[in-house]
Amino acid sequence: MQSENGFYGQYGGSYIPEILYSSQQQILHAFEEAKNDPTFLAELHKQWQQFSGRPTPLTYCANLTEHFGGAQIYLKREDLNHSGAHKMNNVIGQGLLVKRMGKKRVIAETGAGQHGIATALVAARLGLECTIYMGAKDIERQYPNVFWMKQLGATVVPVTTGAQTLRDALDEALRDWSSSHEDSHYLIGTSCGCAPFPEMVAFFQSVIGDEVREQSVAQFGQFPDRLYACVGGGSNACGLFLPFLDDKEVEMVGVEAGGKGLELGEHSIRLSHNLGQPGIAQGFATMFLQDQAGQLQETHSIAAGLDYVGVSPIIAHLAETGRIKMTYAMDDEVIAACTLLLKKEGIIPALESSHALAGAFKDAPNLPKDSKIVINLSGRGDKDIFNVAKAVQDETFPQFLTDYLAAYSTSHADHQEQNA
Amino acid sequence: MSQLAAFIEEKKSVKVKRQQKPILSMTHVVYGYPTVQDSLDWMKRLMQEGVDFIEVQFPFSDPVADGPSIVAACHKALEQKLDVETCLSQLGKLAKGFPESRIVLMSYLNPMYRFGLDKLAKRAAEENILGLILPDLPIEQAATYQAACKAHNIDPVWLVTPVTPPERLAMLASQASGFLYCVARSGVTGHSVHENKSHESKAKQTSLDDYLAQIKQHASAPMGVGFGLRERAQIEQLIGKADIAILGSALLDAYNKGGQEEGIKLIKDLFH
Repeated sequence: MQSENGFYGQYGGSYIPEILYSSQQQILHAFEEAKNDPTFLAELHKQWQQFSGRPTPLTYCANLTEHFGGAQIYLKREDLNHSGAHKMNNVIGQGLLVKRMGKKRVIAETGAGQHGIATALVAARLGLECTIYMGAKDIERQYPNVFWMKQLGATVVPVTTGAQTLRDALDEALRDWSSSHEDSHYLIGTSCGCAPFPEMVAFFQSVIGDEVREQSVAQFGQFPDRLYACVGGGSNACGLFLPFLDDKEVEMVGVEAGGKGLELGEHSIRLSHNLGQPGIAQGFATMFLQDQAGQLQETHSIAAGLDYVGVSPIIAHLAETGRIKMTYAMDDEVIAACTLLLKKEGIIPALESSHALAGAFKDAPNLPKDSKIVINLSGRGDKDIFNVAKAVQDETFPQFLTDYLAAYSTSHADHQEQNA
Repeated sequence: MSQLAAFIEEKKSVKVKRQQKPILSMTHVVYGYPTVQDSLDWMKRLMQEGVDFIEVQFPFSDPVADGPSIVAACHKALEQKLDVETCLSQLGKLAKGFPESRIVLMSYLNPMYRFGLDKLAKRAAEENILGLILPDLPIEQAATYQAACKAHNIDPVWLVTPVTPPERLAMLASQASGFLYCVARSGVTGHSVHENKSHESKAKQTSLDDYLAQIKQHASAPMGVGFGLRERAQIEQLIGKADIAILGSALLDAYNKGGQEEGIKLIKDLFH
């Protein structure tokens, strides 16, 4: 979606410290040129295909459709991207742009670690130095992802300020960029931040919706009647929705994280239910979860990737104008939706994507039998093994961890003995 | 000439007459750190010691232009509920006792936007706070804010940096009225964990002297220099090239180390 000078209605814009002005302008111009350069676009599609395995399938879910007895349910399989999530579409795009600008280093923020890993993968492939900022609390919760980032050669910096989560990691990435802007690119992971990041990330993610346009016509002879996507920062939703914006008959539903409840601090609902307020922070204007004094607040979701205080200005604008309908799913509904997909279709969804499932499953029984809905399965759920095990109260898992730990320390000690 | 610029000119001429260093001091204090009362006491002490300006930072949860010292102080301060209106009234009341000094208010856009930019300009003017600094509000988005400041006869303070392109530098300098905030180097305020990363770019940057001379060509308003000042030699280097030396994180670090006494000692070392 084209912005007006970086704005989408009253949202978006560029509110950054003066020191970043030149670098921001450089990205603005580089992206403008690149998106109109056939050579760049050809390389982008080649990398999407050869490195990430695109196009991803559109999978018909016969069992789920029968289970709900309403709409025909299809999944857009972004979980089948390399790295296991749609994040790859964007990092490949920005990675190629970094090479084009001649910069040598990328900085990224990450919450759960998905964008961190995706960035580290692309940095390794393109020969870029890579620094990932991650809240110290998120590092504790998501160590396996940190492990892989480090193995991929990235430097992972724990952020110990504030609540020590994604929002603080984003602040710290901006601070790094303020010092390192001349040779570093801030590779933001979602369609947020100062212009042109929302537009650029949405552009790279729009490959999702572009493919669905072709696949839906090929597989069922029409565009989908309704699209569902979870909304954290908003990049997978932008990716699926934006290519259908002008097709007025295609309805769009964004699903936010209801978390544990609607009290401030318990959820990450910025748009539905009037829980967020307009604000300007972290480089852009959008709806933020904040107090009356304008201080940004803590958020919660069982899915770390949705646990963010702001939201894409593009989604905020489209929700305000009514083009996208916003709703939310609570943590327990999300686990139920995840479990149902596992049992019915043999697919392991990420907890983020399970929000989109939960939102769609609520509507599916009430939709006409000949209607077609497409749910964006933005990522796979392997990474959520600890959270899901806990949520379904798997009895064997704690014992496994204990035994594994016991064996781990023994083998580690053996190894050290051998070295000595 | 704006009230703020006039005050700066007058203070400078007084310093020349008294054969003091012809550079004004601006010392930074985080409102509410570690408590509201402690921060007000600290401001009072600073003005008793004769600092020319206090830059009061109203804390924001996500201060992206600040380094670790100021970020930590802001987060500590926000453990209390802080309120812009109360802050302005308290600053106004405090400033009345010290006609030789001025307070300028610094914050980030969001808390001020929530308070209302027009109301901010009006209330600041009423409390004799003559300058406002909002580092994340670029001039392109600031038409309403500029108009509000103009209507209430106070000055928005714009920042320029060593990497600001020449034509933009000229534009910002020409719009400056109270004073122009000249950021001395890339990065965030104070000692930064990111400092080592800017080393490669140093060769490309002009020296501080050249940078300030370049700004002076375009700026009719006074010039303040800040970011990374913590030694006497740095302040002395600014004499004749800038009007105000801005002391932020270094002062906070001293205050954290040894309270008010350590802070005052630093100011005396640097300015006297």
